[in-house]
Amino acid sequence: MAERRRKLAPPSEPSRRWLKPIGVAGLCLSFAWSFSGAVRAEESDDGGATPAAAARTVDYGRDIRSILSDKCFACHGPDDGTRKGKLRLDNRRDATAPAASGESAIVPGDIENSELIWRITTDDVADRMPPAKTGKPLTADEIQKLTTWIEEGAEYAGHWAFNPPVRPDAPEVSRSEWARNPIDAWVLKKLEAEGLSPSPEADKTTLIRRLSLDLIGLPPTIAEVDAFLADTRDDAYDRLVDRLLASPHYGERWGRIWLDAARYADSDGYEKDKPRAVHFYRDWVVGALNRDLPYDQFIIDQIAGDLLPNPSQDQLVATGFLRNSMINEEGGVDPEQFRMEAMFDRMDAIGKSVLGLTIQCAQCHTHKFDPISHEEYYRMFALLNNANEASAAVYSPDEEMKRADLIRSIHEAEAKLRSDHPDWLDRMRRWEEAERQRGPDWRIVRTDTDANIGSGQKHAMLEDGSILASGYAPTLHEDRFTALEPVPSVSAVRLELLNDPSLPVSGPGRSFKGLFALTEFHVEVAPADKPNERREVRIVKATADANPPETELEPIFDDRSKRRRVTGPIEFAIDGKDETAWGIDVGPGRRNVPRNAVFVLEEPVSFPSGVILSFRLTQRHGGWNSDDNQNNNLGRFRFGATDAPGAEADPVPPRVRQILAIAPEDRTPAQTNAVFSCFRTTVPEWSEVNDQIEALWRQHPEGSSQLILTKRDQPRETHLLQRGDFLSPGEVVEPGVPAFLNPLPDGKPANRLTFAEWLVARDSPTTARALVNRVWQAYFGTGFVPSSEDLGTQSELPSHPELLDWLAVETMDAGWSLKHLHRLIVTSATYRQASATTPELLEKDPYNRLLARGPRQRLDAEIVRDVGLAASGLLDRTMGGASVYPPAPAFLFQPPASYGPKQWPEATGSAKYRRALYTFRYRSIPYPMLQAFDAPNGDFACVRRARSNTPLQALALLNEPVSLDCARALAARVLTEGGATDAERLVYAFRRCLSRPPTAEETDILLALLARRSQRFASGEADPNELNGESVELPPSASPVQLASWTVLSRVLLNLDETITKE
Amino acid sequence: MNCQDRLYRRAEPGLVSRRWFLEQCGVGLGAMALRDLFGAEAFAASPAAARGENPLAPKTPHHAPKAKRVLFLFMAGGPSHLEMFDNKPQLARFDGSLPPPELLKGYRSAFINPNSKLLGPKFKFAKHGESGTELSELLPHMSRVIDDVAVIKGMSTDSFNHAPGQIMMSTGSMIFGRPSMGAWTCYGLGSESQDLPGFVVFSTGKKGPSGGNSNWGSGFLPTVYQGVQFRVGGDPVLYLSNPKGIDQDIQRDSLETVRQLDEIRLAKMGDPEIATRINSYEMAFRMQMTAPEVMDVAREPQHVLDLYGAEPGKPSFANTCLLARRLLEKGVRFVEIFHEAWDQHGNLVGDLKVNCAETDRACAALIQDLKQRGMLDDTLVVWGGEFGRTPMVQGGNDGRDHHPNAFTMWAAGGGIKPGISYGETDDLGFSVASGKVHVHDLHATMLHLLGFDHTKLTYRFQGRDFRLTDVEGRVVKELLA
Repeated sequence: MAERRRKLAPPSEPSRRWLKPIGVAGLCLSFAWSFSGAVRAEESDDGGATPAAAARTVDYGRDIRSILSDKCFACHGPDDGTRKGKLRLDNRRDATAPAASGESAIVPGDIENSELIWRITTDDVADRMPPAKTGKPLTADEIQKLTTWIEEGAEYAGHWAFNPPVRPDAPEVSRSEWARNPIDAWVLKKLEAEGLSPSPEADKTTLIRRLSLDLIGLPPTIAEVDAFLADTRDDAYDRLVDRLLASPHYGERWGRIWLDAARYADSDGYEKDKPRAVHFYRDWVVGALNRDLPYDQFIIDQIAGDLLPNPSQDQLVATGFLRNSMINEEGGVDPEQFRMEAMFDRMDAIGKSVLGLTIQCAQCHTHKFDPISHEEYYRMFALLNNANEASAAVYSPDEEMKRADLIRSIHEAEAKLRSDHPDWLDRMRRWEEAERQRGPDWRIVRTDTDANIGSGQKHAMLEDGSILASGYAPTLHEDRFTALEPVPSVSAVRLELLNDPSLPVSGPGRSFKGLFALTEFHVEVAPADKPNERREVRIVKATADANPPETELEPIFDDRSKRRRVTGPIEFAIDGKDETAWGIDVGPGRRNVPRNAVFVLEEPVSFPSGVILSFRLTQRHGGWNSDDNQNNNLGRFRFGATDAPGAEADPVPPRVRQILAIAPEDRTPAQTNAVFSCFRTTVPEWSEVNDQIEALWRQHPEGSSQLILTKRDQPRETHLLQRGDFLSPGEVVEPGVPAFLNPLPDGKPANRLTFAEWLVARDSPTTARALVNRVWQAYFGTGFVPSSEDLGTQSELPSHPELLDWLAVETMDAGWSLKHLHRLIVTSATYRQASATTPELLEKDPYNRLLARGPRQRLDAEIVRDVGLAASGLLDRTMGGASVYPPAPAFLFQPPASYGPKQWPEATGSAKYRRALYTFRYRSIPYPMLQAFDAPNGDFACVRRARSNTPLQALALLNEPVSLDCARALAARVLTEGGATDAERLVYAFRRCLSRPPTAEETDILLALLARRSQRFASGEADPNELNGESVELPPSASPVQLASWTVLSRVLLNLDETITKE
Repeated sequence: MNCQDRLYRRAEPGLVSRRWFLEQCGVGLGAMALRDLFGAEAFAASPAAARGENPLAPKTPHHAPKAKRVLFLFMAGGPSHLEMFDNKPQLARFDGSLPPPELLKGYRSAFINPNSKLLGPKFKFAKHGESGTELSELLPHMSRVIDDVAVIKGMSTDSFNHAPGQIMMSTGSMIFGRPSMGAWTCYGLGSESQDLPGFVVFSTGKKGPSGGNSNWGSGFLPTVYQGVQFRVGGDPVLYLSNPKGIDQDIQRDSLETVRQLDEIRLAKMGDPEIATRINSYEMAFRMQMTAPEVMDVAREPQHVLDLYGAEPGKPSFANTCLLARRLLEKGVRFVEIFHEAWDQHGNLVGDLKVNCAETDRACAALIQDLKQRGMLDDTLVVWGGEFGRTPMVQGGNDGRDHHPNAFTMWAAGGGIKPGISYGETDDLGFSVASGKVHVHDLHATMLHLLGFDHTKLTYRFQGRDFRLTDVEGRVVKELLA
C-alpha cells in the first residue's frame, strides 16, 4: 500500500486531476432533477481541492449504484463465478472487508486508504480499474461522485425498486388550483423545480380524440364529438371517460398491449411456423379487461388457472399465456431441447411483463447486476416446470349453452329409459358380470423406438410400455416397431390408442383434432434366435371398439393425388389398399378417447426360441404438406399380444372398465350412470332410444381448441443447467424465489399456484410498479422508468419516483382495478394538457418526461389501421373469434418468401375490415402493414414497442390495398352524406379523420387539390374509373370524376401525420 | 429516422438540443418548413449537427474500416462441405465402414443414428489457381476466381436444427429476438443511400429461410435497422408501386398536399416527429423513383448478364446477385441473399449438381464484377450456410444429415486475405482439427473489417449491453489481408 501511495503524490494532485473539466456539462435533461445537487466539475475546480460536494450529498441509489453496476459489477458483483480478486462491491459488508490483496476497497470516510479510489485514479494502466479492455472507463464526473460518496461514509441503500412501494403524501405545490388529483401535484412539483409551467388544457375536440384513441383505440365519430362539445355539464369529461371505459372496445385496445407482453401469435414460430389454435386466449384477455378483472386475479389465472379449484373454461384458457411460447417441430429436433427453450421464454415473459425484471441472464449464470443467482433462477423455474403442455377442446358461449342442453337431454333420455325399465339394474349387473369375464389376457409388447428416426418423428417409450410420438410430424410415412423381448407364441395382437396431454385435444392421434388414420397394419414375426428371418403373417380378422362409417378425408388432408381417400371401419386397416384407413372419428364431444383394435393372425405362430414381433404402421392419410398441420398420425399407442384363440377388441372403454372394478355399492351416481351409458348400447330392444341419443350426440358443437397448461401428476425434477444448456444438468434445485424479493407465502405448497399468488402479493416490490409504469408509458410515450421490462439496478431512476409509488399503491388499494388506474390518469390535469411544444421546451425536455405538455405520439400499428377503417366507415366491429386474413400479397405466404407454403384464405366481405387485433399473426411472416408500423411479431415478450417513422410506412399508407379501400370508401361516404357543397363535404371528410374541422388555410389547400384533380379527371388525362375500381359503388347523383377526385383527397387526409397521431 | 429511439441509447445529453432535432429531423422538405418556422439561423453549423444524429446517417466506426459494405450469400439448409470444399480422401477410403466410436461420444444428430456408415465424397477435387486451393468439380467457375477468395474450412456452430442454426448465423444467438448482422451493421455504420434502405434482403431458393423474418430483424435495436425484403419479380418492395388509377401526376400532387398540410401542423405543434414524417414521405417518393430503375437488370450490358448467367425478367439466383451488386453500388450497406436449397438428406448428388449449376457462375461473377469495378477492395462477400453435413450417410448412399461440428464457408474482398485456405478438419471432415472459426468468430471478424471492435459495438437493453458476438468472438487475424 505504502509503495503504491507514493505514486499518488502529491496528495492534493488526484482531486485536481479528477476535476479536469471534460465534457460533463449539460447532463441529460430528463435526469436534471436527480442531479440538482450534483457537482459540476468546472465549479468545483474553482472551489479547490476539496470539492464543494462536501457540503452536498451524494446518494447511493441516485448517484452511485448505476456507476458501480455499469462499470464494476461484471467482475465485482453478485456472480461469484466471474468475480475477480474476491472483491465484491454490491454490498457494504463485502466492499469494506479486505479483498484478496489484503486491502479494503472501501474505507468509509477515508479516501486515502480506500483501494478503490487509488485503483480508479492511478495512471498505471496495469492497475487501473476498470481495465482498459472493458472499454468502460470512468468519467471524471463518476470518479468525483465515487470519491464524495466514500468521503461521506459510503452508505449503501437498497435499490429503490426492491423495497415494496409505500404510499407517499402528495407534495405541496404553489399552483394547487391546477392540480386535479395527486398525479398533478407531483408533476407540478417537478415542473416548478425546473422553472416550467404546465401547458393549458387541450381543446375539447383534441381531448375527445385523444381519450378515444387511448381508451378504445378508435377515433370518435363526428356525432360523438358534437355531443361532447354540446355537453356543458361540469362532469362532461368524466362522463366521457366512463362511457369509453365501459365500451367493449376498451378491452380490445388494452388487450393488444397485454398481448404484446404475452407474445401472442397465431402460429408456432421457428421453421414450420404452423398455425395454432389460440384465439380463445386472445378473447379471454379482451373479456377480462372489459369486466375489469382485478390485475392480481388476471395474473393468477394466466399463470395457474388450471390449478384453481374446479377451474372454469376461462381459467384454463387463461393459461394460454404460458403456452404462447414458440414450438419447433422441424425435422430432427429433440423435443426436450425446445421444451426447455419454451420454459426459458416463459420465465422471460413473466420477468418482463409481471415482475418488470430481466431475469434471463440468470438462466446461464448468476446475474451480473441484479441480485438473482443462477440457482435462484432455477428455483423459480422449478415452480413453473410442473405442467403438462396440453390443449383442450373449448366452446364459445353459444356452443357451451348448446352443449349443456344436449347433455341434459341425453341424461333425461337415459333417466326415462331407467324409469321405463325398472329391472335395468339387475340386467346391468348381469351384463357387468359377463363383461368382467371377457378375455383374453394381453401381454404388453415393448418395442424399439429409434428405428424410425429417418421419418423425423420422435418416439418415446413411456413407463406403461406405450409409445408417444412427438416432434416433427411427417404426413405420409411408415414406421416399424420391433419387440425388445420375444413372446412364446402369438395368435392375435392388439393395438391400443391412448390419450396423452401432449397431444392435440389429448389425442389419441396427432391430427389437429387429436385423431389419426391407420392406412395399413402389418405384423411380422421372426424367431428370437434368428431375428433377421423376419416374415409377414397374414391378418385374417380385425375388430375395433370404434368403426365409423366410410367418410372422405377432410380437405386439410388432401395429398394432391386426386384419389378419393377415406377412413372407416377397422377392416380398412387390413385391406391392402392405400386409399382406405381405419379412423376413429365418432364426432365432436366423444372423439378424444382411448381406442383399441385386435388383429387375429392367420394361424398361431411359435418358435422354440420365442417369437420376435414387429409391427408396421402405414400412415399415409395425411396431406401433401408436412410443414402444415396436415399429419394424421397415431399419437400414443401400445402393442399387445396373446396366444388365446378368438380374441376381439374390448367394446368397454377403459374408463368404464375401471368403474366395473369398483364394488357397485361403492360407486358414485355419476359412475353408475357411466356404466349405464355403456350398458344401454348393448341392449337390442332399446335401439330406438339409443338411436335418439346418437342423434343428439351428432348435434354436439364442433368447438375449437386452445393450448393450455394442466397439472402434472408427477412433478418434474428441476436441475440447475450449466450455462443454460439442457444437456448439462447440475444439481437438483428445490422450488423457491429470489431472496431479494418478497418471500413465498407461508404454509402454501411450493407450486405454480403459489408462485402466481406470490407474483401479485401485496408485498411484491416490483409487480404493481411494473404495471403502472407500463400503463403510464402507453399514455405518455415513456414510462416513469424508460426500460419497462427492467426496473432492476441497471435501469434509470424513475422520473417521478413518488408518483410511481403512489399510483402503484393506489391501484392495489383499489383492488387492483385497472379501470381505476386509467381513470386516475386520464382525468388528471397532466393528461389533459395541450401537446404543442416550443423549441425552448424541446431543448429543455425533448422527450416530455417532465410533462409540461400533453402527450403527442404516432399511434400503434393496429390503431393506425383501425383509424383508417373507422374514418372511412369500413370498420367491421365484430368482436372475437378466429383470426381473420385481410388482403395481403399472396407471394408472401409461398416459398421462397415463406419457408413453406402457408394458408392465407383471404377474408371476404366486411371481415376484411375487422379490427387489426384480429389479423392472423404468423410469426415468420408478419402482416406487412402492421410490421411496418412496429407491431412485434410475438417471438418474445415485448412490453415496450419501438416507434419508428420510415418510408415503408409511407408506402403502406399510400399504396396498400386496404388503405386505398379506405380512401375510396371515405370518398363515397362523403359524396353520399357529406353535404351539398364541396366545402361542406370537406369539413365532413376532415372531421371523420381528424375530428376537428379544417382551418381556412387547410381548406384552401385541399379544395385546390380537389379542383386540380377534378379538372384532370374530367379532361380525360386520367381515367376516374380506373381509380374508382370495383370495391365501392358510385353514390347516386355523384359522377365518376367526383368519386375519383374525392378518393385522391381522402387518400391525402388518411396520410396526414395528424391522422395517425394522438395529439 | 426515429427521434424517440435516442432516448434509449443514453445519447450524450449535450446533443439533445434544438439544433439536434433540426439536424436529425429537418433534412429535405422538412427543412424548408423549419426554415420558415425558426428562421435560417437554425441551420448554422453546430458541433451537434456535425455529429449527424440521423440514425441512418453514415457514421464513423472505431477504426478505419476495410469493408464499407457487405454481401452475405446465405446458403441455407447446410451445404455439404465434403462435396464442395473439403477434400477428404480418407473418407473415401473408409466409405461404408462405421465411424470410430470415440468420434461419436456425446454427438447428437438430427435424423440419423450417429453410428451410421461413413459415406465417401461424391465428387472429384482438384487444385486451382496460384494458391492451389482445392475445390470440387461442382465449382468450375469459383475455381477461376479462387485466388481472390479465402476458404474457411474450420467453421463450427452450436445447433444442428435449421431454424436455431440460421438464427445463430444471422444474429449470433439461437434465441429469437436478437438483432441481425445487417441490423448491427446499419446501427454501427448508418446508410449511404438516401433513396434505398440500408439493409436489403432477398430470398431465392426453393423455400424461405427457417425462422423467417427474424433472420433480418432488428431485435431490440430501433426498427429502422431491420432488413427490407426486396423481390426479384414484380414490385421490388411491398407497396412500392402506385395503385391502379394513381398515376405519377396524382401521386406527386397528393404528396405535395400532404407535405403542405403536415408543415402547417408542424408549425402549430412543433413536434420534430412531423418533420421526420415529412422526410419519410419524401424518401418513399424517391424510393419509388429509384428502386425500379436499380432493380431493372435489363439495363446491364449483355456481357455482364452473361457473366452472371442472368436473364432479365427471369427470377434466379444469378439475377439476384446482379441486383445485389447494383444495390451495393447505390450505397446499400448490407445485402443478404437467402438461398435455401442445401438440405440434402437424400439426392445428394443430383441436388448438388443442380444447386451448383444455379449458383457457382453467379458467385464467381460477383467477385469478378466487383473486382473490375474496383469495389471488391471495400466490399466484403461472405458465402455459407448454417452448418455442414455429416460424413455419415443418411438413407441408402446418397444423403447426409445436419452437422454443426465442422463446415466450410468462404469470404472475399473487404480486407480478407485472398487466395488462402484457413483451418482444417480431421481426416473424415467430422471435427475441426486446426483453425477453428466459430460463428461468433466470423461475426467478430466481419465487424472488425467494418471498422468495429466487436466487444464495443453494443446496445443497452434490459439493463445490459448486448453485442452481436454475445460474450464470445475472436477476430480471426489469419483471415485479414
